[in-house]
Amino acid sequence: MSRFARRLEEESKIPTVGASGINVVKFKDYELKYSNGMPIRYVAFPFPVAGQPKSVHKAYVEGKDLLGGKPMMQAIIEALTKPLTDEEKKSGIPPEGAPQPRLLKPDTEANLQRLFKEKEWTDFNPIILPTEERVAAMLKATSHKPNEAVSKMGSRELTVEKAAAIAVMAGAKPEYFPTMLAVLTQAASFGNSTSSMASMIVVNGPIRKQLGMNSGTGVMSPYSEPNSVIGRAFALAGKIMGDLRLKETVYTSIGNNLQYNNVCVAENEEELPQGWEPLSVELGYKRTDNVVSIGTGWSYISSVGEAQLNHPPHMMFRDYMRSLAGMGATIIMDPTVAGLLRDAHGFKTKAELSEWLSKNVEVAAATYWGNGVNATASSPMAFQGLEPFATWQKVPPETLIKPFTNAKAIQFVVAGGKIQTTWFATDFRLGRGILIDSWK
Amino acid sequence: MKNKILIGSSLIVLIALICIAIAPSATGQAGADKACDERLLNVLNPSISTKMVARVPLAPRADTLEGKTIYMVDLQWGGPEAAYSVFEEMQGWFARNMPSVKTEVRRSKGGWMGGDDPELRKEIIGKKAAGVIVGIGG
Repeated sequence: MSRFARRLEEESKIPTVGASGINVVKFKDYELKYSNGMPIRYVAFPFPVAGQPKSVHKAYVEGKDLLGGKPMMQAIIEALTKPLTDEEKKSGIPPEGAPQPRLLKPDTEANLQRLFKEKEWTDFNPIILPTEERVAAMLKATSHKPNEAVSKMGSRELTVEKAAAIAVMAGAKPEYFPTMLAVLTQAASFGNSTSSMASMIVVNGPIRKQLGMNSGTGVMSPYSEPNSVIGRAFALAGKIMGDLRLKETVYTSIGNNLQYNNVCVAENEEELPQGWEPLSVELGYKRTDNVVSIGTGWSYISSVGEAQLNHPPHMMFRDYMRSLAGMGATIIMDPTVAGLLRDAHGFKTKAELSEWLSKNVEVAAATYWGNGVNATASSPMAFQGLEPFATWQKVPPETLIKPFTNAKAIQFVVAGGKIQTTWFATDFRLGRGILIDSWK
Repeated sequence: MKNKILIGSSLIVLIALICIAIAPSATGQAGADKACDERLLNVLNPSISTKMVARVPLAPRADTLEGKTIYMVDLQWGGPEAAYSVFEEMQGWFARNMPSVKTEVRRSKGGWMGGDDPELRKEIIGKKAAGVIVGIGG
Protein backbone atom coordinates (compact mmCIF):
# COMPACT_ATOMS: atom_id res chain seq x y z
CA MET A 1 0.00 0.00 0.00
CA SER A 2 2.70 2.47 0.99
CA ARG A 3 4.82 1.59 -2.06
CA PHE A 4 1.88 2.19 -4.41
CA ALA A 5 1.06 5.46 -2.67
CA ARG A 6 4.66 6.67 -2.62
CA ARG A 7 5.10 6.05 -6.32
CA LEU A 8 2.10 8.23 -7.19
CA GLU A 9 3.14 10.97 -4.77
CA GLU A 10 6.81 11.04 -5.70
CA GLU A 11 6.77 10.42 -9.43
CA SER A 12 3.45 11.94 -10.47
CA LYS A 13 2.74 14.41 -7.63
CA ILE A 14 -0.67 12.89 -7.05
CA PRO A 15 -1.92 13.08 -3.45
CA THR A 16 -2.85 9.79 -1.84
CA VAL A 17 -4.32 8.50 1.39
CA GLY A 18 -3.73 4.96 2.61
CA ALA A 19 -6.80 3.27 4.08
CA SER A 20 -6.47 0.12 6.15
CA GLY A 21 -7.49 -1.64 9.29
CA ILE A 22 -5.95 -0.24 12.47
CA ASN A 23 -4.02 -3.52 12.87
CA VAL A 24 -1.86 -2.54 9.87
CA VAL A 25 -1.85 1.25 10.10
CA LYS A 26 -0.51 1.35 13.67
CA PHE A 27 2.96 0.41 12.37
CA LYS A 28 3.15 3.43 10.07
CA ASP A 29 5.66 5.39 12.14
CA TYR A 30 8.24 2.57 12.14
CA GLU A 31 7.71 2.07 8.43
CA LEU A 32 8.24 5.78 7.76
CA LYS A 33 11.56 5.87 9.62
CA TYR A 34 13.12 2.61 8.51
CA SER A 35 11.41 1.44 5.34
CA ASN A 36 9.37 3.85 3.21
CA GLY A 37 10.72 7.32 4.04
CA MET A 38 7.54 9.10 2.94
CA PRO A 39 5.05 10.33 5.58
CA ILE A 40 2.03 8.81 3.84
CA ARG A 41 -1.26 10.05 5.27
CA TYR A 42 -3.44 7.21 6.56
CA VAL A 43 -6.92 6.61 7.83
CA ALA A 44 -7.74 3.58 9.93
CA PHE A 45 -10.82 1.43 9.92
CA PRO A 46 -11.67 -0.96 12.73
CA PHE A 47 -10.24 -4.45 12.22
CA PRO A 48 -11.16 -6.72 10.48
CA VAL A 49 -12.16 -5.17 7.20
CA ALA A 50 -11.63 -8.06 4.76
CA GLY A 51 -14.49 -10.48 4.63
CA GLN A 52 -16.96 -8.36 6.59
CA PRO A 53 -20.53 -7.99 5.23
CA LYS A 54 -21.54 -4.85 3.35
CA SER A 55 -23.49 -3.55 6.33
CA VAL A 56 -20.26 -3.47 8.38
CA HIS A 57 -18.37 -1.74 5.57
CA LYS A 58 -21.14 0.85 5.38
CA ALA A 59 -20.85 1.42 9.13
CA TYR A 60 -17.07 1.80 8.82
CA VAL A 61 -17.40 4.47 6.12
CA GLU A 62 -20.04 6.30 8.15
CA GLY A 63 -18.00 5.92 11.33
CA LYS A 64 -14.80 7.46 12.57
CA ASP A 65 -11.16 7.30 11.53
CA LEU A 66 -9.49 5.45 14.41
CA LEU A 67 -6.25 7.41 13.98
CA GLY A 68 -7.54 10.97 14.27
CA GLY A 69 -11.04 10.45 15.64
CA LYS A 70 -12.74 12.51 12.91
CA PRO A 71 -15.59 11.24 10.74
CA MET A 72 -13.99 8.90 8.19
CA MET A 73 -14.91 10.74 5.01
CA GLN A 74 -13.85 14.10 6.49
CA ALA A 75 -10.51 12.51 7.42
CA ILE A 76 -10.08 11.17 3.88
CA ILE A 77 -10.90 14.51 2.25
CA GLU A 78 -8.54 16.35 4.60
CA ALA A 79 -5.77 13.86 3.86
CA LEU A 80 -6.13 14.70 0.17
CA THR A 81 -6.53 18.47 0.54
CA LYS A 82 -4.99 19.84 3.74
CA PRO A 83 -1.71 21.71 3.11
CA LEU A 84 1.49 19.91 4.00
CA THR A 85 3.09 20.42 7.38
CA ASP A 86 6.81 21.26 7.68
CA GLU A 87 7.41 17.67 8.70
CA GLU A 88 5.71 16.39 5.56
CA LYS A 89 7.88 18.62 3.37
CA LYS A 90 11.18 17.24 4.70
CA SER A 91 13.62 15.51 2.41
CA GLY A 92 17.11 14.04 2.69
CA ILE A 93 18.84 11.65 4.99
CA PRO A 94 18.09 12.23 8.67
CA PRO A 95 21.06 12.70 11.01
CA GLU A 96 22.41 9.30 11.85
CA GLY A 97 22.04 8.25 15.45
CA ALA A 98 24.99 6.81 17.37
CA PRO A 99 25.73 3.30 16.11
CA GLN A 100 25.20 0.41 18.48
CA PRO A 101 28.35 -0.14 20.59
CA ARG A 102 30.19 -3.38 19.99
CA LEU A 103 30.28 -4.19 23.71
CA LEU A 104 27.62 -3.58 26.32
CA LYS A 105 28.44 -1.73 29.51
CA PRO A 106 30.13 -4.22 31.86
CA ASP A 107 27.67 -5.57 34.38
CA THR A 108 26.87 -8.56 36.56
CA GLU A 109 25.49 -11.82 35.19
CA ALA A 110 22.09 -11.18 36.75
CA ASN A 111 21.81 -7.66 35.40
CA LEU A 112 22.88 -8.70 31.91
CA GLN A 113 20.43 -11.58 31.81
CA ARG A 114 17.70 -9.12 32.78
CA LEU A 115 18.86 -6.61 30.14
CA PHE A 116 18.85 -9.23 27.37
CA LYS A 117 15.26 -10.12 28.23
CA GLU A 118 14.14 -6.49 28.48
CA LYS A 119 15.62 -5.76 25.06
CA GLU A 120 13.84 -8.85 23.66
CA TRP A 121 17.05 -10.38 22.37
CA THR A 122 16.05 -13.78 23.74
CA ASP A 123 13.26 -16.33 23.48
CA PHE A 124 12.77 -15.89 27.23
CA ASN A 125 14.58 -19.14 27.96
CA PRO A 126 17.93 -18.60 29.76
CA ILE A 127 20.80 -17.72 27.47
CA ILE A 128 24.57 -18.04 27.68
CA LEU A 129 25.98 -14.53 27.85
CA PRO A 130 28.20 -13.79 24.81
CA THR A 131 31.41 -12.81 26.61
CA GLU A 132 34.35 -11.81 24.47
CA GLU A 133 36.11 -15.09 25.29
CA ARG A 134 33.13 -17.23 24.29
CA VAL A 135 32.57 -15.31 21.06
CA ALA A 136 36.28 -15.51 20.19
CA ALA A 137 36.15 -19.30 20.64
CA MET A 138 33.08 -19.48 18.40
CA LEU A 139 34.78 -17.38 15.69
CA LYS A 140 37.64 -19.89 15.47
CA ALA A 141 35.21 -22.33 13.87
CA THR A 142 34.95 -20.30 10.67
CA SER A 143 37.44 -18.80 8.27
CA HIS A 144 35.06 -15.90 7.55
CA LYS A 145 36.01 -12.51 8.94
CA PRO A 146 34.09 -11.17 11.94
CA ASN A 147 32.80 -8.10 10.09
CA GLU A 148 31.64 -10.04 7.03
CA ALA A 149 27.89 -9.90 6.33
CA VAL A 150 25.93 -13.12 6.74
CA SER A 151 22.49 -11.70 6.03
CA LYS A 152 21.06 -8.29 5.15
CA MET A 153 17.64 -6.73 5.49
CA GLY A 154 17.58 -3.16 4.23
CA SER A 155 20.19 -1.31 6.24
CA ARG A 156 20.32 -4.04 8.90
CA GLU A 157 23.26 -6.38 8.61
CA LEU A 158 23.99 -9.55 10.55
CA THR A 159 27.77 -9.97 10.67
CA VAL A 160 29.75 -13.12 11.41
CA GLU A 161 30.63 -11.69 14.83
CA LYS A 162 27.00 -10.93 15.69
CA ALA A 163 26.09 -14.43 14.51
CA ALA A 164 28.79 -15.81 16.83
CA ALA A 165 27.31 -13.87 19.75
CA ILE A 166 23.89 -15.30 18.94
CA ALA A 167 25.33 -18.81 18.61
CA VAL A 168 26.83 -18.46 22.10
CA MET A 169 23.50 -17.19 23.43
CA ALA A 170 21.72 -20.20 21.99
CA GLY A 171 24.15 -22.57 23.72
CA ALA A 172 26.10 -23.71 20.66
CA LYS A 173 29.43 -25.48 20.54
CA PRO A 174 31.90 -23.98 18.06
CA GLU A 175 31.60 -27.01 15.77
CA TYR A 176 27.92 -26.11 15.17
CA PHE A 177 28.86 -22.62 13.99
CA PRO A 178 29.35 -23.21 10.21
CA THR A 179 25.96 -24.91 10.07
CA MET A 180 24.45 -22.03 12.03
CA LEU A 181 26.03 -19.50 9.67
CA ALA A 182 24.51 -21.30 6.71
CA VAL A 183 21.11 -21.21 8.45
CA LEU A 184 21.51 -17.56 9.43
CA THR A 185 22.00 -16.47 5.83
CA GLN A 186 18.20 -16.69 5.93
CA ALA A 187 17.74 -14.89 9.26
CA ALA A 188 15.99 -12.00 7.56
CA SER A 189 13.17 -14.29 6.55
CA PHE A 190 12.06 -15.14 10.10
CA GLY A 191 8.29 -14.76 10.10
CA ASN A 192 6.63 -11.50 11.06
CA SER A 193 3.34 -11.79 9.27
CA THR A 194 -0.15 -11.11 10.56
CA SER A 195 -0.60 -14.84 9.90
CA SER A 196 1.20 -17.59 11.86
CA MET A 197 4.31 -18.19 9.79
CA ALA A 198 7.17 -20.37 10.96
CA SER A 199 10.32 -21.94 9.56
CA MET A 200 11.76 -25.40 9.01
CA ILE A 201 15.44 -26.41 8.95
CA VAL A 202 16.59 -29.68 7.36
CA VAL A 203 20.23 -30.80 7.41
CA ASN A 204 21.73 -33.31 4.99
CA GLY A 205 25.18 -34.76 4.47
CA PRO A 206 27.98 -36.24 6.58
CA ILE A 207 27.90 -33.23 8.92
CA ARG A 208 24.82 -34.69 10.59
CA LYS A 209 26.91 -37.44 12.17
CA GLN A 210 29.90 -35.19 12.77
CA LEU A 211 27.79 -32.86 14.89
CA GLY A 212 25.77 -35.63 16.52
CA MET A 213 22.49 -34.40 15.04
CA ASN A 214 19.47 -36.57 15.58
CA SER A 215 17.73 -38.05 12.56
CA GLY A 216 16.25 -41.09 14.30
CA THR A 217 14.05 -41.71 17.32
CA GLY A 218 12.53 -38.51 18.66
CA VAL A 219 14.01 -36.47 15.81
CA MET A 220 11.36 -33.77 16.26
CA SER A 221 11.48 -33.84 20.04
CA PRO A 222 13.90 -32.25 22.52
CA TYR A 223 16.43 -35.09 22.59
CA SER A 224 19.37 -33.63 20.70
CA GLU A 225 21.58 -30.70 21.58
CA PRO A 226 22.55 -29.68 18.02
CA ASN A 227 18.94 -30.02 16.73
CA SER A 228 17.74 -27.89 19.63
CA VAL A 229 20.46 -25.26 19.57
CA ILE A 230 20.71 -24.76 15.80
CA GLY A 231 16.94 -24.33 15.60
CA ARG A 232 16.98 -21.96 18.56
CA ALA A 233 19.73 -19.80 17.06
CA PHE A 234 17.52 -19.12 14.05
CA ALA A 235 14.77 -17.87 16.34
CA LEU A 236 17.13 -15.56 18.24
CA ALA A 237 18.79 -14.27 15.07
CA GLY A 238 15.45 -13.78 13.38
CA LYS A 239 14.15 -11.66 16.25
CA ILE A 240 17.32 -9.59 16.43
CA MET A 241 17.69 -9.26 12.66
CA GLY A 242 14.07 -8.23 12.25
CA ASP A 243 14.14 -5.93 15.29
CA LEU A 244 11.09 -7.86 16.42
CA ARG A 245 9.86 -6.38 19.68
CA LEU A 246 6.44 -7.22 20.97
CA LYS A 247 4.90 -3.79 21.43
CA GLU A 248 6.77 -2.09 18.61
CA THR A 249 7.16 -4.17 15.51
CA VAL A 250 5.57 -7.58 15.91
CA TYR A 251 2.24 -8.01 14.16
CA THR A 252 1.72 -11.75 14.15
CA SER A 253 -1.68 -12.11 15.74
CA ILE A 254 -1.30 -15.57 17.30
CA GLY A 255 2.28 -16.41 16.33
CA ASN A 256 3.51 -19.94 15.94
CA ASN A 257 4.98 -22.19 18.62
CA LEU A 258 7.19 -23.84 16.00
CA GLN A 259 9.29 -20.66 16.05
CA TYR A 260 11.06 -21.79 19.22
CA ASN A 261 12.96 -24.52 17.34
CA ASN A 262 11.98 -24.02 13.70
CA VAL A 263 11.47 -27.77 13.18
CA CYS A 264 15.22 -28.38 13.03
CA VAL A 265 15.84 -31.97 11.91
CA ALA A 266 18.43 -34.06 10.13
CA GLU A 267 17.25 -36.45 7.44
CA ASN A 268 17.76 -40.14 8.17
CA GLU A 269 19.65 -40.75 4.97
CA GLU A 270 20.91 -44.15 6.07
CA GLU A 271 17.35 -45.48 6.19
CA LEU A 272 16.13 -44.15 2.85
CA PRO A 273 14.62 -46.87 0.68
CA GLN A 274 16.48 -47.73 -2.48
CA GLY A 275 15.83 -45.10 -5.13
CA TRP A 276 14.75 -42.46 -2.62
CA GLU A 277 17.36 -39.74 -2.48
CA PRO A 278 18.09 -37.30 0.33
CA LEU A 279 16.35 -33.93 0.10
CA SER A 280 19.69 -32.28 -0.76
CA VAL A 281 20.20 -34.59 -3.74
CA GLU A 282 16.64 -33.82 -4.91
CA LEU A 283 17.70 -30.16 -4.76
CA GLY A 284 20.71 -30.82 -6.97
CA TYR A 285 23.55 -31.48 -4.51
CA LYS A 286 25.75 -34.55 -4.06
CA ARG A 287 25.25 -37.01 -1.21
CA THR A 288 28.65 -35.98 0.11
CA ASP A 289 27.69 -32.29 0.28
CA ASN A 290 26.75 -30.82 3.64
CA VAL A 291 23.56 -28.89 2.96
CA VAL A 292 20.97 -27.09 5.04
CA SER A 293 17.56 -26.26 3.59
CA ILE A 294 15.29 -23.65 5.12
CA GLY A 295 11.57 -23.47 4.49
CA THR A 296 8.64 -21.32 5.53
CA GLY A 297 5.07 -22.32 6.12
CA TRP A 298 2.24 -22.29 8.60
CA SER A 299 0.72 -25.72 9.16
CA TYR A 300 1.87 -28.97 10.65
CA ILE A 301 -0.49 -31.96 10.93
CA SER A 302 0.34 -35.26 12.59
CA SER A 303 -0.75 -38.62 11.20
CA VAL A 304 -1.69 -39.39 14.80
CA GLY A 305 -1.70 -43.16 14.35
CA GLU A 306 0.08 -45.78 12.35
CA ALA A 307 -0.41 -46.76 8.70
CA GLN A 308 -3.43 -48.86 7.77
CA LEU A 309 -3.63 -51.33 4.86
CA ASN A 310 -7.11 -50.31 3.74
CA HIS A 311 -6.17 -46.63 3.41
CA PRO A 312 -2.38 -46.52 2.97
CA PRO A 313 -0.11 -43.54 3.77
CA HIS A 314 -0.13 -41.89 0.34
CA MET A 315 -3.94 -41.71 0.47
CA MET A 316 -3.78 -40.25 3.95
CA PHE A 317 -1.20 -37.70 2.72
CA ARG A 318 -3.66 -36.81 -0.05
CA ASP A 319 -6.50 -36.41 2.42
CA TYR A 320 -4.51 -34.32 4.89
CA MET A 321 -3.03 -32.14 2.15
CA ARG A 322 -6.54 -30.92 1.37
CA SER A 323 -6.17 -28.87 4.55
CA LEU A 324 -3.02 -27.16 3.32
CA ALA A 325 -3.00 -23.90 1.38
CA GLY A 326 -1.68 -25.45 -1.81
CA MET A 327 1.48 -23.45 -2.27
CA GLY A 328 3.76 -26.31 -1.33
CA ALA A 329 4.12 -29.21 1.09
CA THR A 330 6.82 -31.05 3.00
CA ILE A 331 5.97 -34.43 4.46
CA ILE A 332 8.23 -35.68 7.22
CA MET A 333 7.86 -39.44 7.47
CA ASP A 334 9.37 -42.25 9.47
CA PRO A 335 11.63 -44.55 7.40
CA THR A 336 9.07 -47.36 7.82
CA VAL A 337 6.51 -45.23 5.98
CA ALA A 338 8.96 -44.54 3.16
CA GLY A 339 9.67 -48.28 2.99
CA LEU A 340 5.96 -49.11 2.74
CA LEU A 341 5.39 -46.53 0.06
CA ARG A 342 8.23 -47.91 -2.01
CA ASP A 343 7.86 -51.63 -1.49
CA ALA A 344 4.12 -52.11 -0.99
CA HIS A 345 2.76 -49.25 -3.07
CA GLY A 346 5.29 -48.88 -5.84
CA PHE A 347 6.63 -45.34 -5.39
CA LYS A 348 10.17 -46.00 -6.54
CA THR A 349 11.29 -42.40 -6.03
CA LYS A 350 10.21 -39.36 -4.06
CA ALA A 351 9.41 -37.66 -7.39
CA GLU A 352 6.85 -40.36 -8.28
CA LEU A 353 5.05 -39.73 -5.02
CA SER A 354 5.13 -35.97 -5.61
CA GLU A 355 3.57 -36.45 -9.03
CA TRP A 356 0.86 -38.72 -7.68
CA LEU A 357 -0.08 -36.25 -4.96
CA SER A 358 -0.03 -33.31 -7.38
CA LYS A 359 -2.58 -35.15 -9.54
CA ASN A 360 -4.73 -36.48 -6.72
CA VAL A 361 -5.10 -33.77 -4.09
CA GLU A 362 -8.37 -31.98 -4.83
CA VAL A 363 -10.27 -29.32 -2.97
CA ALA A 364 -13.36 -27.28 -3.70
CA ALA A 365 -12.58 -23.93 -5.32
CA ALA A 366 -14.36 -22.26 -2.40
CA THR A 367 -11.95 -23.95 0.01
CA TYR A 368 -8.95 -22.74 -1.98
CA TRP A 369 -10.16 -19.15 -2.15
CA GLY A 370 -11.43 -19.30 1.41
CA ASN A 371 -7.82 -19.27 2.58
CA GLY A 372 -6.92 -15.59 3.00
CA VAL A 373 -3.30 -16.08 1.95
CA ASN A 374 -4.43 -17.67 -1.32
CA ALA A 375 -7.01 -14.95 -1.81
CA THR A 376 -4.40 -12.21 -1.33
CA ALA A 377 -1.56 -13.87 -3.23
CA SER A 378 -3.41 -15.53 -6.11
CA SER A 379 -6.32 -13.17 -6.80
CA PRO A 380 -4.15 -10.65 -8.65
CA MET A 381 -2.97 -13.45 -10.94
CA ALA A 382 -6.57 -14.43 -11.60
CA PHE A 383 -7.36 -10.77 -12.21
CA GLN A 384 -4.59 -10.63 -14.81
CA GLY A 385 -6.04 -13.67 -16.56
CA LEU A 386 -3.22 -16.02 -15.56
CA GLU A 387 -4.11 -19.70 -15.43
CA PRO A 388 -5.11 -21.76 -13.61
CA PHE A 389 -6.14 -18.99 -11.22
CA ALA A 390 -8.38 -17.20 -13.71
CA THR A 391 -10.43 -20.36 -14.26
CA TRP A 392 -10.44 -21.26 -10.58
CA GLN A 393 -11.98 -17.89 -9.79
CA LYS A 394 -14.77 -18.33 -12.34
CA VAL A 395 -15.87 -21.94 -11.63
CA PRO A 396 -18.77 -22.69 -9.25
CA PRO A 397 -17.49 -22.77 -5.66
CA GLU A 398 -18.06 -26.52 -5.21
CA THR A 399 -15.95 -27.41 -8.27
CA LEU A 400 -12.97 -29.59 -7.37
CA ILE A 401 -9.59 -28.14 -8.33
CA LYS A 402 -6.06 -29.52 -7.95
CA PRO A 403 -4.19 -26.80 -6.02
CA PHE A 404 -0.72 -28.44 -6.01
CA THR A 405 0.02 -27.59 -9.61
CA ASN A 406 3.79 -27.86 -9.15
CA ALA A 407 4.77 -31.40 -8.15
CA LYS A 408 8.29 -30.22 -7.33
CA ALA A 409 6.82 -28.09 -4.55
CA ILE A 410 5.82 -31.30 -2.74
CA GLN A 411 8.91 -32.50 -0.86
CA PHE A 412 9.70 -35.32 1.53
CA VAL A 413 12.07 -35.69 4.46
CA VAL A 414 12.61 -39.17 5.89
CA ALA A 415 13.38 -39.02 9.59
CA GLY A 416 12.51 -41.04 12.67
CA GLY A 417 13.45 -44.19 14.57
CA LYS A 418 11.52 -46.95 12.76
CA ILE A 419 9.36 -47.48 15.83
CA GLN A 420 6.01 -46.49 14.30
CA THR A 421 4.65 -45.76 10.81
CA THR A 422 3.86 -42.13 11.54
CA TRP A 423 4.40 -38.88 9.69
CA PHE A 424 3.63 -35.18 9.55
CA ALA A 425 2.07 -33.29 6.65
CA THR A 426 3.15 -29.66 6.55
CA ASP A 427 2.74 -26.77 4.13
CA PHE A 428 6.39 -25.76 4.45
CA ARG A 429 8.13 -25.03 1.21
CA LEU A 430 11.85 -25.74 1.47
CA GLY A 431 14.32 -23.53 -0.36
CA ARG A 432 17.18 -24.41 -2.65
CA GLY A 433 19.63 -25.44 0.05
CA ILE A 434 22.83 -23.79 1.28
CA LEU A 435 26.26 -25.41 1.33
CA ILE A 436 27.47 -25.55 4.93
CA ASP A 437 31.14 -26.10 4.06
CA SER A 438 31.33 -22.67 2.44
CA TRP A 439 30.94 -21.28 5.96
CA LYS A 440 33.76 -23.30 7.53
CA MET B 1 35.35 -42.80 87.76
CA LYS B 2 36.53 -39.18 87.71
CA ASN B 3 39.34 -40.21 85.35
CA LYS B 4 36.82 -41.86 82.96
CA ILE B 5 34.71 -38.68 82.85
CA LEU B 6 37.79 -36.58 82.23
CA ILE B 7 39.01 -38.81 79.40
CA GLY B 8 35.54 -38.89 77.81
CA SER B 9 35.18 -35.11 77.93
CA SER B 10 38.63 -34.67 76.46
CA LEU B 11 37.78 -37.01 73.61
CA ILE B 12 34.57 -35.09 72.84
CA VAL B 13 36.44 -31.78 72.77
CA LEU B 14 39.17 -33.30 70.59
CA ILE B 15 36.61 -34.65 68.09
CA ALA B 16 34.86 -31.31 68.02
CA LEU B 17 38.11 -29.50 67.31
CA ILE B 18 38.93 -31.93 64.47
CA CYS B 19 35.46 -31.36 62.87
CA ILE B 20 35.83 -27.60 63.02
CA ALA B 21 39.26 -27.83 61.39
CA ILE B 22 38.16 -29.97 58.41
CA ALA B 23 34.66 -28.50 57.79
CA PRO B 24 34.50 -25.87 54.95
CA SER B 25 34.08 -22.37 56.13
CA ALA B 26 30.43 -21.43 55.58
CA THR B 27 31.36 -17.79 55.58
CA GLY B 28 34.19 -18.43 53.04
CA GLN B 29 31.97 -20.26 50.47
CA ALA B 30 29.19 -17.67 50.61
CA GLY B 31 31.76 -14.95 50.18
CA ALA B 32 33.20 -16.63 47.08
CA ASP B 33 29.71 -17.00 45.58
CA LYS B 34 28.89 -13.35 46.26
CA ALA B 35 32.16 -12.22 44.66
CA CYS B 36 31.37 -14.34 41.61
CA ASP B 37 27.82 -12.93 41.33
CA GLU B 38 29.13 -9.37 41.52
CA ARG B 39 31.87 -9.89 38.96
CA LEU B 40 31.42 -7.54 36.00
CA LEU B 41 31.30 -9.21 32.60
CA ASN B 42 32.19 -7.79 29.20
CA VAL B 43 29.70 -9.12 26.68
CA LEU B 44 29.08 -8.42 23.03
CA ASN B 45 26.04 -6.40 22.03
CA PRO B 46 23.92 -8.67 19.84
CA SER B 47 21.67 -5.92 18.53
CA ILE B 48 21.91 -4.52 15.04
CA SER B 49 21.80 -0.84 14.10
CA THR B 50 19.04 0.34 11.82
CA LYS B 51 19.65 3.39 9.71
CA MET B 52 16.76 5.68 9.04
CA VAL B 53 15.93 5.92 5.36
CA ALA B 54 16.02 9.11 3.34
CA ARG B 55 12.91 11.26 3.72
CA VAL B 56 10.78 12.03 0.69
CA PRO B 57 8.17 14.78 0.88
CA LEU B 58 4.51 14.31 0.07
CA ALA B 59 3.02 15.80 -3.08
CA PRO B 60 1.35 19.23 -2.69
CA ARG B 61 -2.39 19.13 -2.16
CA ALA B 62 -5.10 20.96 -4.06
CA ASP B 63 -7.42 23.23 -2.02
CA THR B 64 -10.52 21.26 -2.86
CA LEU B 65 -11.73 18.11 -4.58
CA GLU B 66 -14.81 19.88 -5.98
CA GLY B 67 -15.08 19.41 -9.73
CA LYS B 68 -12.16 16.98 -9.78
CA THR B 69 -11.63 13.24 -10.24
CA ILE B 70 -10.41 10.90 -7.52
CA TYR B 71 -9.51 7.24 -7.84
CA MET B 72 -10.06 4.51 -5.31
CA VAL B 73 -7.65 1.59 -5.73
CA ASP B 74 -8.38 -1.78 -4.16
CA LEU B 75 -5.15 -3.75 -3.63
CA GLN B 76 -7.21 -6.90 -3.07
CA TRP B 77 -6.02 -7.92 0.38
CA GLY B 78 -8.07 -11.00 1.05
CA GLY B 79 -9.26 -11.23 -2.55
CA PRO B 80 -11.27 -9.13 -5.00
CA GLU B 81 -14.44 -9.01 -2.90
CA ALA B 82 -12.91 -8.82 0.59
CA ALA B 83 -13.09 -5.03 0.97
CA TYR B 84 -14.42 -3.79 -2.38
CA SER B 85 -17.73 -2.71 -0.90
CA VAL B 86 -15.88 -0.20 1.32
CA PHE B 87 -14.89 1.64 -1.85
CA GLU B 88 -18.44 1.33 -3.17
CA GLU B 89 -19.72 2.91 0.04
CA MET B 90 -17.20 5.74 -0.27
CA GLN B 91 -18.25 6.24 -3.88
CA GLY B 92 -21.88 6.43 -2.76
CA TRP B 93 -20.94 8.98 -0.09
CA PHE B 94 -19.32 11.27 -2.66
CA ALA B 95 -22.33 10.93 -5.00
CA ARG B 96 -24.66 12.06 -2.21
CA ASN B 97 -22.51 14.68 -0.51
CA MET B 98 -20.07 16.00 -3.10
CA PRO B 99 -21.67 15.21 -6.46
CA SER B 100 -19.18 17.38 -8.36
CA VAL B 101 -16.39 14.95 -7.44
CA LYS B 102 -16.03 12.21 -10.04
CA THR B 103 -14.97 8.89 -8.51
CA GLU B 104 -13.43 5.84 -10.18
CA VAL B 105 -12.99 2.52 -8.34
CA ARG B 106 -10.39 0.08 -9.65
CA ARG B 107 -8.77 -3.14 -8.54
CA SER B 108 -4.97 -3.18 -8.85
CA LYS B 109 -3.55 -6.06 -10.88
CA GLY B 110 -0.43 -6.00 -8.74
CA GLY B 111 -2.40 -6.90 -5.62
CA TRP B 112 -1.31 -6.33 -2.04
CA MET B 113 1.95 -8.25 -2.34
CA GLY B 114 2.99 -7.23 -5.86
CA GLY B 115 1.70 -3.71 -5.47
CA ASP B 116 2.28 -2.07 -8.81
CA ASP B 117 -0.09 -1.80 -11.75
CA PRO B 118 1.61 0.34 -14.43
CA GLU B 119 -1.51 0.52 -16.62
CA LEU B 120 -3.62 1.74 -13.73
CA ARG B 121 -1.03 4.33 -12.75
CA LYS B 122 -0.95 5.53 -16.36
CA GLU B 123 -4.73 5.88 -16.32
CA ILE B 124 -4.67 7.79 -13.00
CA ILE B 125 -1.99 10.15 -14.31
CA GLY B 126 -3.77 10.57 -17.66
CA LYS B 127 -7.01 11.56 -15.94
CA LYS B 128 -5.07 14.11 -13.81
CA ALA B 129 -6.57 12.64 -10.66
CA ALA B 130 -6.68 15.06 -7.73
CA GLY B 131 -6.21 12.23 -5.30
CA VAL B 132 -6.13 8.48 -4.79
CA ILE B 133 -7.50 6.45 -1.89
CA VAL B 134 -5.52 3.20 -1.77
CA GLY B 135 -6.13 0.19 0.47
CA ILE B 136 -7.49 -1.80 2.23
CA GLY B 137 -5.41 -4.09 4.37
CA GLY B 138 -6.58 -5.78 7.52
